[in-house]
Amino acid sequence: MTALAATEPLGAKAVEAAAGPPPRPAKRAGPLEWIVVHLVFLVVCAFFLVPFLWLLSAAFDGKASAYIQFPVQPTIMNFVRIFTEHDFARVLANSVFVAVATMLLVVVAVSLAGYSLSRLDLRRKDWITYAVLLLQTMPISATMVPIYGLAKQLGLRNSYLGLILIHAAIELPFLIWLMKGFFDSIPRHLEEAAWLDGRSKLRALIEIVLPLARPGLGIAAGLAFLSAWAEVLMVVILIDQDSLKTVPLAFYEAMRTQGGYTEVQYGVIAAMAVIYLLPVMVVFFAARRLMVRGLMSSTRGL
Amino acid sequence: MAVGARSSLGRNRLYLAGLSPAAFLLALFFVGPALWALGSSFTNRALVGLDAANPRFVGLDNYAHLFSDPDFGRVILNSVIFVIGSAIIGQFVLGLLLALLLDHAQRRGFLAANFVYGAVLLAWVNPTIIAGFLWVAMFDFYNGSLNAGLGVIGAPPVNWLGQGPMLAVIIANTWRGTAFTMLIFLGALRTIPSDIYEAARVDGASAVRRFWDHTLPILRPIAALTLLSITMSTFGTFILIQTLTNGGPAYQTEVIALYAFHEAFQNHAVGYGSTISVVMLALNLAFAIVFLRWSRARA
Repeated sequence: MTALAATEPLGAKAVEAAAGPPPRPAKRAGPLEWIVVHLVFLVVCAFFLVPFLWLLSAAFDGKASAYIQFPVQPTIMNFVRIFTEHDFARVLANSVFVAVATMLLVVVAVSLAGYSLSRLDLRRKDWITYAVLLLQTMPISATMVPIYGLAKQLGLRNSYLGLILIHAAIELPFLIWLMKGFFDSIPRHLEEAAWLDGRSKLRALIEIVLPLARPGLGIAAGLAFLSAWAEVLMVVILIDQDSLKTVPLAFYEAMRTQGGYTEVQYGVIAAMAVIYLLPVMVVFFAARRLMVRGLMSSTRGL
Repeated sequence: MAVGARSSLGRNRLYLAGLSPAAFLLALFFVGPALWALGSSFTNRALVGLDAANPRFVGLDNYAHLFSDPDFGRVILNSVIFVIGSAIIGQFVLGLLLALLLDHAQRRGFLAANFVYGAVLLAWVNPTIIAGFLWVAMFDFYNGSLNAGLGVIGAPPVNWLGQGPMLAVIIANTWRGTAFTMLIFLGALRTIPSDIYEAARVDGASAVRRFWDHTLPILRPIAALTLLSITMSTFGTFILIQTLTNGGPAYQTEVIALYAFHEAFQNHAVGYGSTISVVMLALNLAFAIVFLRWSRARA
């Protein structure tokens, strides 16, 4: 075994176990125990869910405030207003474009890199894996200032190219590691047979190996899309042209221009938050394990 | 190896080529910024004006300034308080307790445990900036749900973001990040068969004894790694605090990532901001090396 198995991100195994079936029930609980446990559950759920309940109520309330209550004036006006007053259709289109482009770039880059790393036959291969994992712990909040400076010098500010490249790079360390694992499990003799048939290495990869790694590619694509969709720091420092704005930036600006002497437009911002959250929630409910696995891998601060 | 040594060089050449697109991106946006920060930390580079176009080499001035800067001492202290409060006390303790509770409830067959599990996870998967927004509303002095809740039990309202900003950001970050610790410990607890507890009970072992003998040995080996991992991610916290307090009032919640940002983009001192980034990267590298060594030693 290489160092890889030894240095796998902390969470991978835990998630598999935590999401699996629970151990079989041991002993029936007494009524007192049932009541105590469920009271604690109630407190825990209140703490974790009240903010979301408020968000939903505020998004659909024409008179939303910070107070949580059933909408005083139930309406979808807040959603209409973000499209009419905040040019949200363009913002959404921008975000989808950036996230999809990032996803495609990531899938190509990690297919090549994960496969190559898996098949590479070097004495010091551990070190490459080690370096990749080290990069994964680098906080992007620590590289904000230099990335701003570097992007400015390279002409990558206010350009989707810069945003897409950076979003892709942020996800690469974990996904390379993940895809290497998938490729490690695909037997080499399959591609070696294809080489003997006269296929090039690249064609053998595309026609024989990649179809077998499809589940891994799906995970990589999903995580890359979500991460590019949700990421905000890089967007804030790289984009300041209105026409290039994406959802996180529109949300960031809507939040920061509030307060002071004007009344905070909770309803409008909440509506934006709901749309911003939507893809995240869809993936969360459709593929919880996938998403949790991706998040577990990250020790980066946000 | 199935294929002979003769072709191994040729094969590796292609594989190295396959690694190159990813390597290029990683070099450009991970290694590049680190080197850029290091370079700029020796200059008086500014955000705008003459010193932006032609920064001057100033040697170790920025570092000398940083280590005699009373604000930086404050910032480090804030970061330490924030990490201890939200990662070690908040996320770790709450996550551990939740894992023990949920594991116990699942062994009892309480279906509500799955709902609670989902609720904790939900707070964690949503984008951090949304978490910031949600807690801005929760902490609102006049209308916020938190003060409304205090009113119900007869307590006076608290000016969370004005008077207790550090506590407020710690609560918000605990809310956001507890799921990580919970998941890891829950995964470990799942590996203990219920029979062991049964057998211990039959032997007359008390609940404390059972926890000490059977639960703790499973949790201890991953506890240190978990702590280090959440310490690293909490140390880099930026957007949550920026949306809640932006480091204020009066520097009370200014942590290291915010300080670098403010120095570079508000005081226009990019050279100085880069110096702070370098210190942050160095601290993080130290953490990461310890983390990787421990995880290797564990396996």
